[in-house]
Amino acid sequence: MKLKTDFTDRAELIAYLRETFSDAAARSPEVSDTRGGRRAAETALQQIKPERYAATRNHLKGSVTRLSAYLRHGVLSLAEARRAALQRGGAKAEKLVTEFAWRDYWQRVYAQIGDGIWKDRESLKTGWRPADYADKLPDDIAGGVTGLRCMDSFADELRATGYLHNHARMWLAAYVVHWRRVRWQAGAAWFLAHLLDGDPASNNLSWQWVASAFAVKPYYFNRDNLEQFTDGVYCRDCQHYRNGCPFEATYGELSARLFKP
Amino acid sequence: MRVMGKCNSHNPHNSYNSYQTMENPLLWLHGDCLNPHSPALQAHPDAPRVFVFDDAVLERYQVSLKRIAFLYECLLEIPRIEIRKGNVTAELAAAAREHICQRIVTVESVAPRFARLRASLQREHNLPVEVLSLEPFVELSPSEQTQLDLKRFSRYWNPLKAKALSLNQSFDW
Repeated sequence: MKLKTDFTDRAELIAYLRETFSDAAARSPEVSDTRGGRRAAETALQQIKPERYAATRNHLKGSVTRLSAYLRHGVLSLAEARRAALQRGGAKAEKLVTEFAWRDYWQRVYAQIGDGIWKDRESLKTGWRPADYADKLPDDIAGGVTGLRCMDSFADELRATGYLHNHARMWLAAYVVHWRRVRWQAGAAWFLAHLLDGDPASNNLSWQWVASAFAVKPYYFNRDNLEQFTDGVYCRDCQHYRNGCPFEATYGELSARLFKP
Repeated sequence: MRVMGKCNSHNPHNSYNSYQTMENPLLWLHGDCLNPHSPALQAHPDAPRVFVFDDAVLERYQVSLKRIAFLYECLLEIPRIEIRKGNVTAELAAAAREHICQRIVTVESVAPRFARLRASLQREHNLPVEVLSLEPFVELSPSEQTQLDLKRFSRYWNPLKAKALSLNQSFDW
C-alpha cells in the first residue's frame, strides 16, 4: 500500500503514523525529539568535537556525537564521518575514528556470519551454561520499575527517546545479563525495538561482548564506576543507595557473586 | 559524497549488463542507505524511487513508533520519494509495473534479509537487481581485504589504523 508523503508539519506526520502503524503505536507510542533526515545529520556532523570526545566520551554528559542513528541508516556514510573527524581533529580524532571503526568491524562480521549474530559466537566465560539464563526479559526491567534508580532511568530514556549513551547501554546490558541472568538475546531484541540507531550487528555483537560470548571475559561494573561517570545523579535519589545496592562492591566481590569459577 | 564507480572491481555485488541499461530502472531505497545523495540516486536522478516499510521486519523486531518516525523523516527529505508498506518484493514489483520499470537498482547492504529479498525479486518477479557500492570506511586493496582478521576488533583494527587515521590515503590503487 502507498503511504502519504505530504505533511504540513511534524504533528500531522506523527498523527498519520500513529494511525498507519497502529500496531507499533499500540506497543510504544512515544516519538523521539531526535529528527531524522540528512539536514539534521549534517548539523550533527558539523558539531562534532573530536578532541572533547576523546577526553569526555565515557561520561554521560560527555561530548558524544549523536551521529549513530544517521550512520546506522546510511543518511551519513562512515567515510564522510571519518573525513570530518580528521579534518576537525587531526591526530586528536583517533578515539572518534576508532569508534567509527567499531561500526565498520561489526558490519564486516555481519557480512560473514549473517543470522549467526543471534547465536553465541563463543562459549560463555561466566561459568554459567546458556540454559541457566532466562529466555524472557523481566517486565520490571523493560517497564523501568526495578526500584534501581539508574537502571529504571535508562529504561525510561530508551523508551522515550530511542537513544542511550554507550556507557548506559553497557551498564544496562550487564545488569540484564549478569545480575538478572537473562539471555543476551532478550536484551538485544528489547534494544532493537527502541533504539533509533538499532542495528542488528552493532547491537547484538555488543550484547555478546558484554555477555562474554564475543570477548575473553564478561563486562561488569560497580557502583563507583557508575557514580563516577554520572556524577552520582541516579545514586543520589536511589532508595537502595544505603540499602541493598547490587552494584556496591569491589570487582572481586562482584565477580565471586555473579560468576561461577 | 564520493560515489564508487559501477565497475568497481573489488566488489562482487556490482554487476553491469549492457542490456539492462536500455530498460527503465526503479530505485529501491532501503533502511541501510537513506542518503539523498546515495549512489543509486546520483546514477539515476530522474528514476522513480521507492522505500517499503517491511511488515515482516516491523513485526519481528516489534519496531517502536519512534523508529518509524525517524525513518519517515529521513525519507521525506528525498525528492519524489514513494513510500509503501507491506510485503517488500510484492510492493516493489507493483511499483515497477506502475512506473513501467523492468529492473531494479539499489545499494549494497550486508543484511541477510537484503540478499533474500534481492534473490526473490529476481526469481519470483523477474526483476534483475543491480547493486551499487557505497564508499567504504577505508579503501582497502584486494590483498588487504583478504587478510582482514575479524576474530577480535584489535586484529581487524591494528593493520588498518594508520590508513584510517590519514586523510591522504590514496584512492587510486
